[in-house]
Amino acid sequence: MSNELHLDLDGVPIDVGPRPAPHAAKLSPTAWAKENLFNSIGNSIITLVFGAIFIATTWWAIGWLVDAEFEIVRRNLRLFMVGQFPKEELWRLWLSGYTILIAIGLVSGALAHNTYDLAVEQGVPAERESLMSLVRRFWALIAVMVFFVSFARTLLPYIGVAAAFALVIVSREVGWRMPSAVRHRAIYIGSTLAIISMLVLSGTSKLGGVTLGLVAFFWALSEMGRRDAPTTAAGKLARFAIPLAVAIIVFAIEVVIPFDGFGWEDWGGLHITLFTSVVGIALGMPLGILLALGRQSDLPVIKSASVLFIEFVRGVPLISLLLFSGLMLPFFLPIDFERPADLTLAMIVIMGFSAAYIAEIVRGGLQAVPKGQTEAAQALGMAPGSLQRLIVLPQALRAVIPAMVGQFIALFKDTSLLVVVGILEFLDVASVANNQPEFLGKGLAGVTYIFVAIGYWAFAFTMSKESRRLETKLGVGTR
Amino acid sequence: MSNVSVNTDATQILGGSGEVMIELRGVDKFFGEFQALNNIDMKVGKQEVVVVIGPSGSGKSTLIRCINRLERHNRGSIVVDGVELSDDVRNIQEIRRETGMVFQSFNLFPHLTVLENITLAPRNVRNMPKAEAEELAMSLLERVQIPQQARKFPGQLSGGQQQRVAIARALAMQPKVVLFDEPTSALDPEMVKEVLDTMQDLATEGMTMIVVTHEMGFAREVADRVVFMADGAIVEVGNPEHFFTNPQEERTQLFLSQIL
Repeated sequence: MSNELHLDLDGVPIDVGPRPAPHAAKLSPTAWAKENLFNSIGNSIITLVFGAIFIATTWWAIGWLVDAEFEIVRRNLRLFMVGQFPKEELWRLWLSGYTILIAIGLVSGALAHNTYDLAVEQGVPAERESLMSLVRRFWALIAVMVFFVSFARTLLPYIGVAAAFALVIVSREVGWRMPSAVRHRAIYIGSTLAIISMLVLSGTSKLGGVTLGLVAFFWALSEMGRRDAPTTAAGKLARFAIPLAVAIIVFAIEVVIPFDGFGWEDWGGLHITLFTSVVGIALGMPLGILLALGRQSDLPVIKSASVLFIEFVRGVPLISLLLFSGLMLPFFLPIDFERPADLTLAMIVIMGFSAAYIAEIVRGGLQAVPKGQTEAAQALGMAPGSLQRLIVLPQALRAVIPAMVGQFIALFKDTSLLVVVGILEFLDVASVANNQPEFLGKGLAGVTYIFVAIGYWAFAFTMSKESRRLETKLGVGTR
Repeated sequence: MSNVSVNTDATQILGGSGEVMIELRGVDKFFGEFQALNNIDMKVGKQEVVVVIGPSGSGKSTLIRCINRLERHNRGSIVVDGVELSDDVRNIQEIRRETGMVFQSFNLFPHLTVLENITLAPRNVRNMPKAEAEELAMSLLERVQIPQQARKFPGQLSGGQQQRVAIARALAMQPKVVLFDEPTSALDPEMVKEVLDTMQDLATEGMTMIVVTHEMGFAREVADRVVFMADGAIVEVGNPEHFFTNPQEERTQLFLSQIL
């Protein structure tokens, strides 16, 4: 508080009094409440009404939670989590799950360090994300895992989940500490681990083969997205030919051996929900991008095929596609081909469904890229293919992240429709549990469905949160 | 009322080495019914600096955009360094490799660093190895006097710096001619000078340049020839001295009186 020297128009000092103290940044709770909740009669009434509703609802909810019989969940926990997966093979799920967690930890640690290095290079302030901030970031997932495991009746699941947390933390640390050259190839390490994980789950080549194909596809995609172009002919060949060849070989294997894994017919529960979502997103996204590019192609055949596919799939409810998948899809396969399992067909449908919607989202993104970008690239003499993949697509995808993740979240919840093809997915376990003789007619529907709802919510909320974080990081919506 | 001493012949080269770099013959361009270019005959010589001025809608941007095929001319022929512009994609790309362009809105690639912006085309189009491209990029950044910004993203730079990066990006392809489409029109006044200085250095070093601009000071100082366009046609041509002190055509006089 100082007396500032103000001069009037003639240069004569005038005394304007002491400078008022700046408005306090942090108000005490009562002061805050007074200012924001009760600052007028109208607001006070709204506060009281909503406050009453909120308190009443919370009171009822807590009361219900305390009195509710969760035995139904405890007895059926394995069913909820993995459906009717063969009990003796459950170790495979744990092992493959751990492998995936290690992969996630390593890759995220490595990528975090890469981003950190880049920021330092640019002279932008950077700091490493602490464990506490990570916990805050993923609190929903952590809380729901703890929630799930609290229904376990033996000690083993508790140890298992605790080990999972420890594994992620340790592998993230390892990923951070890896030498720079290794860190920049983190994606390949992660992919290899993903393949191993799938091989554990599938035994021989079946599921692992598909994963191999997936990985090869993503390798091809990420090679395409790399900004540095190999300059030797051999390098160029290696970039596309190798992953493409691997993908083709894998596909050939898959044509001979049906797509499945251990206990494929019996997969279910949260496991199948997560698995289908991941496959639907992972396979649907590249296919969707290809469809979007195909739709704006100049070649009539590609264009009409893309439009036909997109408009057909978008015009029909997912449930009908799933119901008819058993009838329609086998038509597209060679006559003497062994009919794939229902789950396989359903996953193909989910993938195609997701691709069609993503194609439209990407098309919007492509239109959002300023024309000047294309012109600048053309003026430099760039070929249309390079232009699309290096200039237009990266910007288009960046612009549609909110819409795409929204689509992923919707897909995650749409997997509940798998019940119509006879798959015991997460939501269906609730009805199955409710219909069990010892729980039938006890009005326990609330318990099971709320349990399932909490599960869905935790994952969907985390996806939504991560999407916002990604947007901020990529500067979507800012210049 | 025609004045016989009005020079409308844009095919006279007034600077540089005298050889022809770009030739436009009878070029017409229509946007639907609207005629944007009306029977343009023009030559630009090697190492000549031609400044094109005129009111908005006069077709000056369309003119230079036709040269690198960002617009397709409907009639006439355009020949760049001996290669005629046709509908053949390879031919278009060949010409685009030799003509650089600097845009009014910079059009830098926002998802790439400054260095990557500049090295992208040499590596991708000319298959230059990464190290060599980066060396070239750094030397160009030094030429436009912002080497320390190499690792930043375009969004972190000021407008003047962005435009200078755009100039460096165009130069990275080692073009024979650089086309400027109102390069300073989107800049804050205090940044206009730094860009114009860069362009002047470029001219002094002997680059062939066609500059569409409203900066008359630049035209006066740097241009070998000034071309005034209105309504899609070339109205008057001359060297800067003649042009600014003694414009003949009434339209020219009117335009200059509004600008200067």
